[in-house]
Amino acid sequence: MHLTRLSLTNIRTYERLELELERGIHVIAGENASGKSNLLDAVAMLATTRSQRGGHDIDLIRWQALRDETLPGGRIVGEIDKRDGQTTLEIAVVASENDSDANRRTSRRFRVNAVARRASDLIGQLRVVMFSAEDLTIISGSPSGRRRYLDLTISQFDPTYVRASQRYSRVLQQRNSLLRRLREHHGSLDELDFWDDELTTAGSVIFQARAATLTRLGQDAAIRYPTLGSPNEKLSVRYKPALPVALIQNVPRDEFESDFRSAIEEGRQQDVWKGGTQIGPHRDDIEFQISGRDAAVSASRGQQRTAALALRLSEVALSCEITGDPPVLLLDDMLSELDANHRKRVIETAYEVDQVLITTPDFDRPTASELPDAIRYRLVMGTLNRAEESL
Amino acid sequence: MANTPINRLIEAFHRLPGIGPKSAQRFAYYVLRAPEEEARDLADALIEVKRSVVLCQRCQNLTDKNPCWICLDESRNRTIICVVEEPLDVQAIERSGGFNGLYHVLHGVISPSDGVGPEELKISELLIRIRDIDKEIIEIIVATNPNLEGEATSMYLAKLLQPLDLSVTRLARGLPAGADLEYADDVTLGRALEYRQKV
Ligand SMILES: [Zn+2]
Repeated sequence: MHLTRLSLTNIRTYERLELELERGIHVIAGENASGKSNLLDAVAMLATTRSQRGGHDIDLIRWQALRDETLPGGRIVGEIDKRDGQTTLEIAVVASENDSDANRRTSRRFRVNAVARRASDLIGQLRVVMFSAEDLTIISGSPSGRRRYLDLTISQFDPTYVRASQRYSRVLQQRNSLLRRLREHHGSLDELDFWDDELTTAGSVIFQARAATLTRLGQDAAIRYPTLGSPNEKLSVRYKPALPVALIQNVPRDEFESDFRSAIEEGRQQDVWKGGTQIGPHRDDIEFQISGRDAAVSASRGQQRTAALALRLSEVALSCEITGDPPVLLLDDMLSELDANHRKRVIETAYEVDQVLITTPDFDRPTASELPDAIRYRLVMGTLNRAEESL
Repeated sequence: MANTPINRLIEAFHRLPGIGPKSAQRFAYYVLRAPEEEARDLADALIEVKRSVVLCQRCQNLTDKNPCWICLDESRNRTIICVVEEPLDVQAIERSGGFNGLYHVLHGVISPSDGVGPEELKISELLIRIRDIDKEIIEIIVATNPNLEGEATSMYLAKLLQPLDLSVTRLARGLPAGADLEYADDVTLGRALEYRQKV
């Protein structure tokens, strides 16, 4: 698949950007803080509805618009050409009228082919894999970062996962509030019945999708890792579900669900005491091991980088395998960080997909011999100019 | 902001749900420019609503007569109660014309994160009513909104009412998930009532 048009209005540093895109490799050169990462992040938002770097929705809207307009809003529109035809996606973020910027509320509107839809209908219409210099934090960072990584990855090819995740987080919030009420002796334990049922139904979908995806990603990444410059090392990826019962794959869903349900029910008193739900996918983690040792603590940054790269390349392969249509690659100012071998591998992958967007601080890096036929742009003051002269 | 009459009015409008500072200003200046009679009508309506509108002792709906006209209407089907979240839902269902029974207004839904449990709702009033007042009731339709909190409330009610010899039903799936009853069109709402299902 590939983007044929991208339009940004009042998004971060962009007042207005209109970009016609074709298949192939696009290199966007801009100085630091020129907003080149914002561009890729906006594309990633079209795929997942979430910013890759987290943060609040209010930060998406260009600050001058927030300052000057009564009802400021930002808008991202993308047109996609994929195997089954053309699709137009739109995300609008609108700030409410309020006293101060600090407590302004925002709302989001989604459209697919100009028809108002829910976020879950938009997610995965466009699929992207983002490579960035921060990828090693998947290995070295916090468990919540790893869960976020899993969510952004799986949601792009599994609509059921998206709906289950949304429901799960609302149920979890309500259940935790109820647990705190119960701790303060408001209400009775049987008020948990409904929330426990819902938590386990949605939670089981999440557990099983994560287990299945990580098995496939892990196997593929384990094959890639030694070819990325460390032939004698071994990478293993293990899912660590926050669950006391053994999570066995291929257990029928209803059977798994009832095990999970009993575990939740047994933990009620403990949960009330702690004022929060102690088990469930919101506490999951992934363990990466390099040659038998926990990579988060004992691997070098180089090893962590390699493991993260293997994982991203596996993500591209998995996305192709599941959907039969390669995702758009987003390489956020990361090629310069890589050694020659890793660069070569990423560039090889770039030529296997339909479209790649690359940002770089230097107009002539990567070089023309590394990326023949690349379409090059200069980003200056929020305006993108296609370079007519080829390198 | 100086404590002038116009600022006090702006602030009063600003306190209303969903009204930002700019809209509050617009309203205040509108009132300022309008004929005095219009301002007096608004003021009178505000005072009167506070003075005369109470909750119906039976169905908990807003009313200026107690019990309300629906609870007293002998031509309505008195064997069936439709349980709704808010008074506005009664209006929506009445408008649809698809229902001729009695109502019960919960004044909210179970939502622990908003500090609302079953005790905060008019649920004990419903039980007392079925037991002591409207003894002919044979069916309860739970018409809470088709969202998480609405479902939590309907499941809770179904469990609570189970020991009583009643049929407890839920609106049919015709309503789009996440939709508000208040905004459903009359045909959809009528159909959802007609094809209600056992909980
Ligand atoms: Zn009444």
